[in-house]
Amino acid sequence: MKSVKSMQRISIDPITRLEGHGKIEIFLDENGEVVNAYFQVPELRGFEKFCQGRPVEELARIVPRI
Amino acid sequence: MAKPKVAVYWSAACGGCDVKVLDTNEKILDIAAAVDLLFWPIALDFKYKDVEEMADREIDLCIINGGIRNSEQEHIVKLLRRKSKVVAALGACAISGGIPALANLYDAQSILDYVYHKTTSIDNFQGPLPQPEYDAPEGRLTIPKFYDSVFALDQMIDVQYYIPGCPPPPSLIVKALTAFLQGTLPPPPATVAGEGSVCDECPRERNREAKVKKWKRIAQFTPPADTKKCLLDEGFFCLGPATQAGCEALCIKANIPCEGCMGKPQGVTDRGSKMLSYIASLTDASTEEEAKKILNDVVDQAGLLYRFDLPKSLIGGRRKE
Repeated sequence: MKSVKSMQRISIDPITRLEGHGKIEIFLDENGEVVNAYFQVPELRGFEKFCQGRPVEELARIVPRI
Repeated sequence: MAKPKVAVYWSAACGGCDVKVLDTNEKILDIAAAVDLLFWPIALDFKYKDVEEMADREIDLCIINGGIRNSEQEHIVKLLRRKSKVVAALGACAISGGIPALANLYDAQSILDYVYHKTTSIDNFQGPLPQPEYDAPEGRLTIPKFYDSVFALDQMIDVQYYIPGCPPPPSLIVKALTAFLQGTLPPPPATVAGEGSVCDECPRERNREAKVKKWKRIAQFTPPADTKKCLLDEGFFCLGPATQAGCEALCIKANIPCEGCMGKPQGVTDRGSKMLSYIASLTDASTEEEAKKILNDVVDQAGLLYRFDLPKSLIGGRRKE
């Protein structure tokens, strides 16, 4: 593994032209080769939790807004 | 003359509002020709860095949809506020939290715990939760902090215009954008919607004598032959009287009770209380005990009365366990 200090970083923030939020971090070594890339999704709503206890027929009107 | 500069951003949103901007159909071409779009993540490839590099107040109109759920959204809407002359909140989430704000009935910890540990579809044996910072071998990675509650846009920044709906009707988006381009927007703060409540646009008729012995669920709905009868009179929780006009009673015309996505009408402080007063006056009970029994049978009152506006409601949200 290359040392952290020599790593160059390219951030693509935000990812565009899609539905949702995301960012990509790409790490390059001193030769400009890709060492690793991370795709991050920073979004959470919690539908799994807050749909509990609601009338099942209402979910058809709630979950499309995810 | 230089074209007005417009930005569109989404926070805790589903993308439906952005789609409704596109649902202006052929008018989207006129809009695109009339303005310079500087930022619109769903449609154009500009980055946060591009916004940071703009001059303050460079954007003439910034349209923001979605509530504020995490630290990134707070940061970006505050940044956009600084870079914009006028900010408009588009849709129920930006105006009052919207559906994602139903999460305000729970705290962040119980949501994270359920989503990442307890749902039957999750496979998380080691049990980690998302962390705002993570030291990967190559360097530090960060994700936004997940807030304890969802906030409406104007709880974070000043907002001049409101375009309600979930999603907002394209006709209102066109109306707002046309007024912006012609310089005829009313003095802020103002809501671009219809006059009165959804009942004023509803083709059904109230029966002043109607009383309800038992409130029904939508599952019990079979379209009556007479589509003239008011759904409230028929015993369905229809939020029409406590909802801002402007949608032309779209759902009710499809035999679906209004769920209140257009937000509270002008001059109403708390929409749930407003709606409850209608429910109370329709409920056929002669004693307090009887009324309590009838209303206790209603499943999920918070979700029916405050589906789109918990952050702006008097009850606020969090359930006291």
